[in-house]
Amino acid sequence: MHLSREAIVEGVQRIVGPEDVITDEEVLRESSHDRFRLYEDVHGVYTQPIPAAVAMARSTQQVAEVLTFANEHGINVVPRTGRTATEGGLETAVADSIVLDGSAMNQIIEIDTYNMQATCQCGVPLQVLEDRLREQGCTTGHSPQSKPVAQMGGLVATRSIGQFSTLYGGIEDMVVGLEAVFPDGTVTRIKNVPRRAAGPDIRHVIIGNEGALCYITEVTVKLFPYLPQNNVFLGYTLESMKTGFEILREVMVNGYRPSVARVYDPADAAFHFSHFAEEDQCVLLFMAEGPAGIAKATAEGIEAIVARHQECRKVDSEFIATWFNDLNWGPDKIAQEREEIRQTSNICRTTEISSDWGCINEIYENALRRVVNEIPDITMAGGHSSHSYINGTNMYFVYFYNVVDCEPEEEATKYHTPINRIICEETLLLGGSIVHHHGLGKARTPWVKDEYGSSYYILETLKRAFDPNGIMNKGTIIPK
Amino acid sequence: MRFAAILDGTIGTAPQQARALGDFLREGLIGDLVGETLVVYHDERDKQRLVELSPTRDVRLIKTPARRPDRMVEILTAVARGEGIPLFLFAGGSAGTELATRLACRTNGAVLTDALSIEVGPERLLCRKNVYSNHMVGRFELSARPRCVTIDACWKDGRSPTSLEHHVLSDTDETGGIGTTPFEDLELVDPPSTGDLAESRFLVVAGYGAGNREGVERIAEAARRMGASFGVSRPVAMNAWAAMDRLIGVSGTRTAPALCIVVGASGAPALHWGIEKAAFIVAIDLDERAPIVRNADAAVLDDGVVIVEELAEIIAAEVSR
Amino acid sequence: MCFKVTPDFEALREADWVAGAAHGVETRYVRRILNCFDESALEMALRLSDTLAGRGVTVGLGALSVGGREAEPYLKTLHALGYERAARVHSEASLDFAPAVIAALIAGYVRRVDHSDLVMLGCRSGPGDSGTVPFLVAETLGWPCLTQVIEVEPLPDDRVRVACMVDDGILRVTLRLPCVLAVGNAVVSHLRVPTLTDRLARRNKRIDVFRAADLGVDIAAELRRETCVLAGLEGIHRARQGVIIGGATPREKARVLFDSHLKSMIEKL
Repeated sequence: MHLSREAIVEGVQRIVGPEDVITDEEVLRESSHDRFRLYEDVHGVYTQPIPAAVAMARSTQQVAEVLTFANEHGINVVPRTGRTATEGGLETAVADSIVLDGSAMNQIIEIDTYNMQATCQCGVPLQVLEDRLREQGCTTGHSPQSKPVAQMGGLVATRSIGQFSTLYGGIEDMVVGLEAVFPDGTVTRIKNVPRRAAGPDIRHVIIGNEGALCYITEVTVKLFPYLPQNNVFLGYTLESMKTGFEILREVMVNGYRPSVARVYDPADAAFHFSHFAEEDQCVLLFMAEGPAGIAKATAEGIEAIVARHQECRKVDSEFIATWFNDLNWGPDKIAQEREEIRQTSNICRTTEISSDWGCINEIYENALRRVVNEIPDITMAGGHSSHSYINGTNMYFVYFYNVVDCEPEEEATKYHTPINRIICEETLLLGGSIVHHHGLGKARTPWVKDEYGSSYYILETLKRAFDPNGIMNKGTIIPK
Repeated sequence: MRFAAILDGTIGTAPQQARALGDFLREGLIGDLVGETLVVYHDERDKQRLVELSPTRDVRLIKTPARRPDRMVEILTAVARGEGIPLFLFAGGSAGTELATRLACRTNGAVLTDALSIEVGPERLLCRKNVYSNHMVGRFELSARPRCVTIDACWKDGRSPTSLEHHVLSDTDETGGIGTTPFEDLELVDPPSTGDLAESRFLVVAGYGAGNREGVERIAEAARRMGASFGVSRPVAMNAWAAMDRLIGVSGTRTAPALCIVVGASGAPALHWGIEKAAFIVAIDLDERAPIVRNADAAVLDDGVVIVEELAEIIAAEVSR
Repeated sequence: MCFKVTPDFEALREADWVAGAAHGVETRYVRRILNCFDESALEMALRLSDTLAGRGVTVGLGALSVGGREAEPYLKTLHALGYERAARVHSEASLDFAPAVIAALIAGYVRRVDHSDLVMLGCRSGPGDSGTVPFLVAETLGWPCLTQVIEVEPLPDDRVRVACMVDDGILRVTLRLPCVLAVGNAVVSHLRVPTLTDRLARRNKRIDVFRAADLGVDIAAELRRETCVLAGLEGIHRARQGVIIGGATPREKARVLFDSHLKSMIEKL
């Protein structure tokens, strides 16, 4: 059953052709991890087992054949497209894995502005789709910070969320139909309908599976009208996060749907807004968009709510508009960050959680207090809330630390994992979720059973049913 | 208006300075101006060559000790005061910046660095230069004499200087009474080689549209035949179709060639950042909507490998003529 | 150690680059960053200090910025990193295109307040990017100056060994203090980061705020004397043509491309 590396390579070559199988050592090393091991990567250290090959699939058929082959021989497969994962989801956790890359499947299949749907293969970069749509006056409404680089397959597989989610929703609200391939080679297509009650919504087996159940080969998403001319920006400084959360809640509970609603604590605000916020101030900001009347009414409603809180001081909207323009994480920022890490040994990490309104401030305060008190060499700890719902919100913890007296491969053990543990513990204690949108990956699987409680039964049964041989992205979602 | 162009022969960049100044005098200086070149030298053996390089007909030679900008400033200050020359031009760079700034200080003149052009009118003198990290061009009025101006490096690679019949007006020796220098133990080394890519004037970049390793190798060969350097986009390197050190863009080399031909790359931001400073970009791609097409000066919508091979043949034939 | 906090010009939108304005471009709304050469200089100074501390020599580091409150977060960071003195000079007038005034303020600070014998700063900064401030400071103080400095190493007897990029290579030279060093594209390009503990420990260190008059400078008078004045701004048109080359065959297209666009360019190369 267990094949040698050479036999794995040969097997995959027979399916996709030798040209599309990469065994170059440097490429294989870079393909063994993702942003979770950024610190190692910057120092050229690779601690994960090196995969046997990276295979570029060019069709659903090829994906099916590779998965069948891997399934027959018990070979671990790591699905990937845009490679922007942050939680270890792309780590090749076992030796001799096959990294199955869908970025060559990059065709936009159809843009249907009458039915407001667009269909594309898994390897289409979101930026490319979005640019094409905007030419026709439409948008996906999906704008994660990774937009310049991320691709559709991965965005769906990780249940990603974008900056404008408070209006448009997360990817799960945008997906219409899908095509996905399961480990035994079965190709499944879920058709495009606006809604149905034909049994459980099986799309949710696929959306967010993080490559642990199947390989997403095609996605259809909803379209929305693109009306940037109606965008309204609002910004305020205020004294406390508690008030900030309160205001976000009031906005949501009173029925407003801004596309952006955020509150930054002083530490995080210092990074972004020191040109208009004082050192100990929080920053609250909103964006309203859509048809002109709605954008205007939304903005007015929000202004009225904020006005009831004396501590809020309005800032010129131009500050917010300008800031928004430069938010996305393009390749130049990524490159600059690497150099900075290399020189300063200082690295930024994030952990994002969610909870209901009643607990969020307590989780924020408790987690932050513990991080600052228990973890050495912290240079910044703070965060912001950026995705609100009628019944709660997220908290995006941002923290920087100097890596001191520590080998690159020890960085996660010494700093990142203990911080994750603190944040997850404090969140679970008060009934929140340990991961809002980055995915469990491998980084947060230690807490997955606590996260699920008795419903873990459903998750593990799905895994047993669809991936009995355990070949799909071992260690992701379900701990190894 | 009179001007004096300074050709610093005590450092190794005299030919580049001469070319830059020559091009600037021809194309960047607007108005009624007549001038001469002050050639500063430290070695007798350089005199003839420096005179021949001079961008003006009239030349004055000044002998100084080597690498003594402090002394050069003193000499130029004396010239400025003694002769009332209203405009001094220096080639851009560290040496020029120092000389122009210090000279302006000592003569209560005005200084401006990296000029794109100088416009001399009856009432005033205006200089244009890049400001705001090259996002805008500023127009500056220089109101005090002498104006001490260094010219932008963009003039560096113009045409070869036209040959002039030079007239040496004087040759003075200013090597005496030089005083002590604050600098000791000078050691000049060549700058480390950054490889052919960063310095390349003609670059061909292959992207994922090359299709496979063979396609990339064909493009590389065509580049070689054209006399161009060869780089690749990240997907090509990551697929091991070419070596990592050929990588252009954010995680590789940033280039500023005069001519850049991008073959089969969509021109995503990562790559574009590495080539955006190219003076002229040609995109060869099958996809009309690829960003590279609208970010290029000219585009060919066809199979990149085939087109670039045809081009290589044409260029090779032209060069051999 | 002099540094400048500038707007992040790369974060401005296309539409913000408004031509015409003689007072400069509106940069009020964009975030601030540390000038990259100044950042190198600040970190190099810390490394110099570390090296000397290793040899048993204590060095006091001071930082100065000409500017308003936007410099204060950086001054606080520098305190947390071990800088003893952190100061800023306040100016009501915009000094964006007034290198002579900046230099006068720096020189005034060094002469009247600081009394350092080594002044380090970035070789140039936006929006003007003149690169003249280091030499103007040097002229006022009567000190030697090197620009495009990429390495500095302390030597005994108040000397430093400096490497700088000159027009024709890399020059290594020994220089006696006092002097001005203007940092260029050094390999060291990022300032280290203080921990929260460091910040807390130095939270109460005072940031000195000076007026120009304290340093013997009359800004208004200096600006009136300014000999290089911004008269206006023009846009740079970068939109490329995107001219599509026609032709029936690849050979024909290549020929048209060459004849119409590349021929003269390639001849020059």
